[in-house]
Amino acid sequence: MSVIELSLLLLVFLFVILASGVWIALALTIVGYVAIVATLSTPPGQVLSTSIWAASDSWDLTALPMFIWMGEILYRTKLPDDMFSGLAPWMQKLPGRLLHVNVVGCAIFAAVSGSSAATCATIGRISLPELLKRGYDEKMAIGTLAGAGTLGLLIPPSIILIIYATVTEQSIARLFIAGVLPGIMLAGLFMGFIVVWALLNKDRMPEPEPPMPWRERLAASRRLIPVMLLILGVIGSIYGGLASATEAAVVGVFLSFAFSWWSGTLTVESFREALLAATKTSCMIAFILAGAAYLTAAMGFTGIPMALAEWITAFQLQPWALLTVLTIFYALLGCFLDGISMVVLTTSIIIPLVEKSGFDLIWFGIYIVLVVEMAQITPPVGFNLYVLQGMTGRNIFTIGAYTLPLFLLMVAAVVLVAMFPGIALWLPSTMLDR
Amino acid sequence: MRLFLDKLYEAALWAAALCLATIALLVGIQLGGRLLDGALMLLHLPPTEFQILSLAEISGYMLAAASFMALAPTLKGGAHIRVTMALNGLPPALRRAAELLAFGIACVASAYMTWQFANFAYVSYKFNEVSAGVIRVQLAYPQAFVALGTLILTIALIDELVTIVMSDRPSFRDAEEAFTVGKEG
Repeated sequence: MSVIELSLLLLVFLFVILASGVWIALALTIVGYVAIVATLSTPPGQVLSTSIWAASDSWDLTALPMFIWMGEILYRTKLPDDMFSGLAPWMQKLPGRLLHVNVVGCAIFAAVSGSSAATCATIGRISLPELLKRGYDEKMAIGTLAGAGTLGLLIPPSIILIIYATVTEQSIARLFIAGVLPGIMLAGLFMGFIVVWALLNKDRMPEPEPPMPWRERLAASRRLIPVMLLILGVIGSIYGGLASATEAAVVGVFLSFAFSWWSGTLTVESFREALLAATKTSCMIAFILAGAAYLTAAMGFTGIPMALAEWITAFQLQPWALLTVLTIFYALLGCFLDGISMVVLTTSIIIPLVEKSGFDLIWFGIYIVLVVEMAQITPPVGFNLYVLQGMTGRNIFTIGAYTLPLFLLMVAAVVLVAMFPGIALWLPSTMLDR
Repeated sequence: MRLFLDKLYEAALWAAALCLATIALLVGIQLGGRLLDGALMLLHLPPTEFQILSLAEISGYMLAAASFMALAPTLKGGAHIRVTMALNGLPPALRRAAELLAFGIACVASAYMTWQFANFAYVSYKFNEVSAGVIRVQLAYPQAFVALGTLILTIALIDELVTIVMSDRPSFRDAEEAFTVGKEG
């Protein structure tokens, strides 16, 4: 059996077993097992235990449960409720007014949470009813929320970036810092879109509210300030080389407890819930990583990734052509798979190809996150769309249509980051090395 | 039996949570020591040079133990991801058959993994393998927890298989359907 036939058979097998409802982590393990048995390359059991153990026992990966825990603690404070009232008074002057709360709120919450659906749900729970009550355009309110929620993946801490860093053996700290500017750029694009839309559709905007004096504005956002400091502290200590990603995450956990205690939401119940929720979420991700580690090891034995890399490089595609092909491929894959599975599945196959084509792996991490973000808002499988479907009762394709302009802005962001790699790579290049 | 199994999953979840909390505590103490030293240096006092030996390795082992001990309760909580799009499209009778097939495959895979991990831990124990750091940790201990966690997952999968045969649907279906928030990263 040739390598090409084998890859096609494995691919079909993978999709069948995924579609049959077997858990993704186990499906990856089974496909890895079959790949090794089919090529008779090595004893499958020994590789299973060694590769999974090597992937699960990791200091760097410890950042994952810690950042998830930090997000879970802050989610159980009054922070989500304060986000709207604290940000709204500052946005009254911008054309588009409170619609910007969606974007800025999501960007801030993204900096404490690594998940885009959680960001979308947390901000949307408060801001969506408020916006609709005040007579803002429903299409824009829902669309910008779905789009801005995806910032959760790009702005550090980001679960997807930790996963990418682990499977490609890149530095989590550098990837986090690389995500900062593209994240701000994307938020800027979204806000620019809101401004332009608001200027063009003045008749669809509600009447402005009376301006609030500075003192009241500060009072309304009083509780947001410590959280902003917490975010700056966590990201700043990674940037400044003061702490590794794991240490920064642990600091984040303790500061979140302090904040929760200060705002009076720290109870035995909230402590227990946050810890157990974080344990389950990180277990789910660690299990997928374990399955992916075995699949990656198995793939190495079959020789498929190298053969694929050689096959594709033989076409002598220009980098932009290769990126276009990959982007379309990811957009299609993203219609059916969630972000984590997309990253772990493809990195085991595509990274040799990416390295051979001369892309920087830190840059490629940011690219892949942007593309996975796009996948979060493409129907029929898009977690942000699910969340908003649950919240508004609208059909998932309707919400997808509302979000289309933001999807196109993300495509623009991918093009910008591809044309100017410095957007992602400049900030980490100024980092102090540890 | 039901009560025993539920207690087993709960105990496994708490063991995992305890591992994670311990990691946070140890790293926190270490960071506190470093901050204290920084302050002492500023005051031109001798630093304490307090250090938790082999912290990175021990954290790694506890993380591995936590990840695997939590497998079964995470399954019960409906938090492990799978593609349910095709399953949701099936008529009820076929869906039940498909669920049985999926759980059957998962049981076999999980049992195989349990066997491999148990063997792995046993080999580490027999050859007395220890970590490379200053504190020599017996690798068999964390590896035994990995095997134990996978064993509990296998038990939970069999438990679910029986539940579907008796009552047509996995016990966590409602949780799984409600659980769209925060599971994708």
